[in-house]
Amino acid sequence: MNFKHKYFFLFPGLFVLIGILIFPIIFVVRLSLSGWNSYNPGLDYIGLENYIRLFTDDPRFWESFFRLSFLSVTTVILQYVIGFALAHMVWKDIKFKRFFRVLFLVPMMTTPVIMTVIWRTFFHESLGPVNDLLSVFGVAPKWLTDPVIAKFTVIIVEVWQWTPFMFLLLLAGLLSLPKEPFLAAAIDGASPVRKFIYVTFPLMAPISIGAIIIRLIEASKIMDTVYVLTSGGPGTSTETSSFYIFIKGLREFQMGYAASMSFTYLIIMIISLTIIAKVLTKVLLKD
Amino acid sequence: MDLVANNLSYKPDDQYHLNEVSFNFKEGNLYTILGRTLSGKTTLLKTIAGLLTPDSGEIKFDGKNFLKIPVWERNVAMVYQQFINYPHLNVFENIAFPLKQRKIDQSIIKEKVMDALKSVGLLGYENRKIQELSGGQQQRVSLARSLVKNAKILLLDEPLVNLDYKLREQLREEFKNLFSKGLADETILIYSTTDPRETMELNGEVIVLDEGKVLQVGPAKEIFENPNSLKVAEISNDPPMNIIEAKILDNHIRFEGIDVEAPQHLSKLTEDGLKIGLRSSDIELGENGHEFEVELAEISGSETLLHLKRGDTKIIVSIEEVLNFKIHDKVKINFKIDRAYAFHADGKLASSPFGGLNG
Repeated sequence: MNFKHKYFFLFPGLFVLIGILIFPIIFVVRLSLSGWNSYNPGLDYIGLENYIRLFTDDPRFWESFFRLSFLSVTTVILQYVIGFALAHMVWKDIKFKRFFRVLFLVPMMTTPVIMTVIWRTFFHESLGPVNDLLSVFGVAPKWLTDPVIAKFTVIIVEVWQWTPFMFLLLLAGLLSLPKEPFLAAAIDGASPVRKFIYVTFPLMAPISIGAIIIRLIEASKIMDTVYVLTSGGPGTSTETSSFYIFIKGLREFQMGYAASMSFTYLIIMIISLTIIAKVLTKVLLKD
Repeated sequence: MDLVANNLSYKPDDQYHLNEVSFNFKEGNLYTILGRTLSGKTTLLKTIAGLLTPDSGEIKFDGKNFLKIPVWERNVAMVYQQFINYPHLNVFENIAFPLKQRKIDQSIIKEKVMDALKSVGLLGYENRKIQELSGGQQQRVSLARSLVKNAKILLLDEPLVNLDYKLREQLREEFKNLFSKGLADETILIYSTTDPRETMELNGEVIVLDEGKVLQVGPAKEIFENPNSLKVAEISNDPPMNIIEAKILDNHIRFEGIDVEAPQHLSKLTEDGLKIGLRSSDIELGENGHEFEVELAEISGSETLLHLKRGDTKIIVSIEEVLNFKIHDKVKINFKIDRAYAFHADGKLASSPFGGLNG
């Protein structure tokens, strides 16, 4: 259709898109080619210097990146398994089904930052209730100050906070499944366990892939939990990419360098999530 | 190995879905459950399969309490009226599904699936997706899936009802061939339907079910010739048998000013409230007949169904050709009165032209 004023009507949407998405990305790319820092603010041009520094002289970025990969993959797997189990549980006709459905969603309704503060209090080594209880068994793990245990503390909090989201998506998926194949499967001789493996799980594959990808995108931005819980510590043992970029950019004010990290990070995420989505589709849908 | 049920009852709400149903099914036989919609046919089949647990009563198979055995160990197969298959599997995997639940060698599975595909006429379709098949083909897949496991009990729940006319005829023919091919040597075949014609064609033992109650059991021919009540006569005829309130006096049947000589098997019935039953096919158009007014004429396939009225009496006549009538046309009809049934006021059979309860 050729309509004279069509661009006029497109403009408001286009304006917002350019303003909040296209312009920032282009600006970040330009910024990453500059040496903008607190001594030297401004968009000068230093070529690929920031990228060379990132790829040759900054192991901390790559450590934080691999730490992030570990944290996000682990939390998403746990969220998926626990979320699926809970959804499957309240999918069947059990007592107090509605009560449990609401109960399992409560963490999602809370404010993550505030809940993380509460978790930090819980896990406080000498004053927190967790170690109070554990002292009965004579143990007192250093939840927040041991480099290894602190990673798992972050995982626990992340899983607690975001499993409900997974639960919600998977429950919606389960409720939308056709009932008939399950009738057929029972008669075809499938025990409940086999019914799950051969019918429920494959039927849920498309929804599972969607849920996992959404959560992976979200989880790869882990920031608030780390910020509040451990501030990346002890040392850098729970520091994630976004937190490191935050430190470089907004604490040390190396804007140009932080922009180059952000852009590199964006490219890596796009590539790896595409690969993950492809692999999941191939494995789960056999397509 | 017999399948025996005693007094099965199931009442999930204020209505009986099954009401004291008992039967004794023997292996190698075909049983047809005939009943209108909501008569409890599906409930009965689901109970046999184990998808429903009755409130009371027992089912025994081979002498063992069947109700204690979970569905997946019962060795039954079922074809539903909706075409139920596994949407995430292709045709081959669908049919192989029941076999994969047991530890069976891949090569044997392949052989059996191919056999089943062949017997339902779907060879060459094994890699198709289920959604790509037509309704008739989908139903064939679920039939193949039920055949492949060699179940001792094969349940078919109105398998043809959701198919179009042509396909239904064709599949019904195939069913007949399959059933007669000795598939049923060790199998108890239970087939439920609302269609009396299907029942007659399958020619098995018929159980007439209504509102969860068994009304009559017997060979198809017997049900057709000697229905034991008005209800059965209605259920086992399509269109339902015409019921005329009449009086028999001095060897004459009288209703709406019509007077016909009573045939011998009806002549001795003189009680009040007698009802005469006459099949729509036992009434014909004729020059010297009794005048009726046309209320509706519908053409169904190659026959015409005439809904006629005279006074308070309404009847349906089926004519084996396509004729055009207008509403309020007058037609003349004759009754093949020697094929008339008589029922008592309470609905029980009084007399049938085939010798049931004569006199």
